[in-house]
Amino acid sequence: MKQQYLNRFILLLTALLIAFAIYLQYTIVESTHRLKKEEIKKSERYAQKIANYIQSKIETDIEFTLANDPELRQELNRVLQTFLTQQYQYIFLLKKDAKGYFRFLLDGSKNDPEDFNAIFFPKSELFEQVCKTHKMQIVRQQEGVEHVWLSLVYPLVKHNHTEALLVLDLSEAYGKYLNDFNSPLMTVVKIMQIFLFGSLLLLAIILYRYSKFRKSILEDTLTSSYTKLYLEEFFNRYKVDQYNAILLDIDEFKQVNTKYGHKSGDTVLKMFVDTINSIVSPLKGKVIRTAGAEFFIVIPKDQVKIGIVAKKLFEILKEKKYLVENEVVSLTVSMSAIEVPKGTSSVQNILRLLDEKLLEIKSKGKDNLGILGIEHLDESLYGNMDYIREALEEERLLCLYQPIFHTEKKEIVKYETLVRLIDKDDPDKLISPYHFMKVIKGTSQYIKMSKLVLNRAFSTLKMYPDIELSVNLDLDDLYNSDMMKLISENLHEYKEFANRLTFEILEDHEIYDYGKVSLIFQQLKAYGSKIAIDDFGSGYANYNYLIQLDVEILKIDGSLIRELETEPARTKTVLASIKALASTFNYELVAEFVSSKEIYEAMKELGIEYSQGFYLGEPKPIEEYIH
Amino acid sequence: MKKVLILLILFYGHLYALDRDSTLKLYHKLFFSLSPKAEISVYVNDNEYRKIFLSSKRLQLTKEPKDADIVLITDERTLEKVLAKRQDIQTDKKPILFVTDHHFLDRSKDIVGAFYWRKGRSQLLFVKNRLDQYHIVLPAEYQKFIIDEL
Repeated sequence: MKQQYLNRFILLLTALLIAFAIYLQYTIVESTHRLKKEEIKKSERYAQKIANYIQSKIETDIEFTLANDPELRQELNRVLQTFLTQQYQYIFLLKKDAKGYFRFLLDGSKNDPEDFNAIFFPKSELFEQVCKTHKMQIVRQQEGVEHVWLSLVYPLVKHNHTEALLVLDLSEAYGKYLNDFNSPLMTVVKIMQIFLFGSLLLLAIILYRYSKFRKSILEDTLTSSYTKLYLEEFFNRYKVDQYNAILLDIDEFKQVNTKYGHKSGDTVLKMFVDTINSIVSPLKGKVIRTAGAEFFIVIPKDQVKIGIVAKKLFEILKEKKYLVENEVVSLTVSMSAIEVPKGTSSVQNILRLLDEKLLEIKSKGKDNLGILGIEHLDESLYGNMDYIREALEEERLLCLYQPIFHTEKKEIVKYETLVRLIDKDDPDKLISPYHFMKVIKGTSQYIKMSKLVLNRAFSTLKMYPDIELSVNLDLDDLYNSDMMKLISENLHEYKEFANRLTFEILEDHEIYDYGKVSLIFQQLKAYGSKIAIDDFGSGYANYNYLIQLDVEILKIDGSLIRELETEPARTKTVLASIKALASTFNYELVAEFVSSKEIYEAMKELGIEYSQGFYLGEPKPIEEYIH
Repeated sequence: MKKVLILLILFYGHLYALDRDSTLKLYHKLFFSLSPKAEISVYVNDNEYRKIFLSSKRLQLTKEPKDADIVLITDERTLEKVLAKRQDIQTDKKPILFVTDHHFLDRSKDIVGAFYWRKGRSQLLFVKNRLDQYHIVLPAEYQKFIIDEL
């Protein structure tokens, strides 16, 4: 999981846990609230029972009866006392006198009971309200009241007149008990909340420290540009092909440091980057310091054409003057820029291309700007050893087969095996050997590639028993023991198919040791394979071969065939002489580059036995020729 | 950790101060309603009350009840002592008596009122004819606590 998603996930998880803890707290508070409500309801019923009892005992006027019957008062006081359980602090009966004062009628207190008719200031207007409305009220604890959680003021009503008020004071301790009923659970929830808030705080601190640390490693402290690490991170988030790129290096910056000292050099460098930023930042570009005085710049493609911005930047940086120790210093830069092709995914490749171009500029005298196009990308990208190595490791290699026709019958007699690499980013794009062959020749990668090609060629031969194939072999391969070992092993392993295989020998230099080459040819032929000389009639593939080597086939160089289009008569004469020579030596002739009907007809006319070219058939997967 | 402890001490100290402050505020208001003087001399035997009143600049504590404008009686013994010595004091110099127990109100007609607790509620009570005896007119906010007789 990417770091940013992981961070978000942890934050979300913590937030969810906190929300859960808050929900738990709410539930507990709600349950305590419900519990209290239920207890108050119970007390209401309790008050009703007491009131009913008193009213059952006193049928006439309460005040009058109690005033005149001390025994009944005592009895009822005792009854109230029995009702006085732990949850009630006080139970008493009040009346309102003519002057509006509340006075005691009954008091259920065991200790120090109030006298009959003693005055009482209830501290709440609700007592008055109960008298008026004849409806019970709950009076919450307020200032000037102690040991009482809340009071139930219950009216004793007769003939639509409140005769007395029964007051049930629920004790503060009981209120506390109800409040604390869920307190163990509440404590757990609170601890959980504290822990979670703590975790969130800690997480925030860690994130803050991480962001500071991240900034310190992603930002160059001297110039405030970004570091190379940022580049990697940036393109993990964004697509490379959405940006264009510039690589620039200050020419001879070392001299500034040497002449004015590193401190002044640093100041100049800072000013230099500020200048770049003044141009690049409005275009939403990023400046990355890739080396001491080397900067890589990426600019979103939708902003401006890279050529324009690169030229502008080059001019401005060239014109810019820096005041160092009362001296005006100018800098020149070497700069390469590229319009990154669509589908490019590797910023390293872009950086390498720009770097190569930069080296080229520097080697040609520095102080210049080079802009790379798509063609440079292909050339440089596919000619990169790392790229080829990766392709071979991933076996991104394809064998195509171009048919070789019997010219007269126009029937396929053989297929030439042609290797292609598959583009890393676009599987439909095939890379021709032109881009990579020169780079890998003589390296272990070449052996690796040859091994893959031979394997696939033999597999094709095995799969299709009626076809013949030819594979290309470089003259140098014959001198390479590893390569020859590989060929011998393959021929040995697939000896039953070897007689359907032709080795087309390519060369780019003269044969020095014909004896050795002859011997190798004999070894190959011992398995039944045929030998063809490729590109006969050009370069080093000359008549000497005919004298020195024992081969079966001559493949006439394509450039000679192509000449038929411009110099048909003369070319035909040359080709006729090659034909005559081949016939004398019993060589079979193959004409390459048969790209048109006219050339094909010419081959027929000349009696060239076999023809190969786009007119007859393009290189394709073998399945497309054999159904 | 030290900071936390100091904060806790300050917090509880503040609560204690609040309780004392509210008591002083209550009596301050009460006494200045009972007496028109700018500075009132008070006699109270209870040490807690003495400590509270000490913090007031306008209340002067006296050593003897006879020297006070107002005598606050909080216990039986002081009540007896004050009532016994009261005979010797000239009528116009007799201090106003105020009590913290409503039962004390029955003991002398010179006691103008009481501040006490009944059923967990603070009760303030003044007896009208006794106030008249001292020519005391209470502010409007105390009117509802004035009763004609016990």
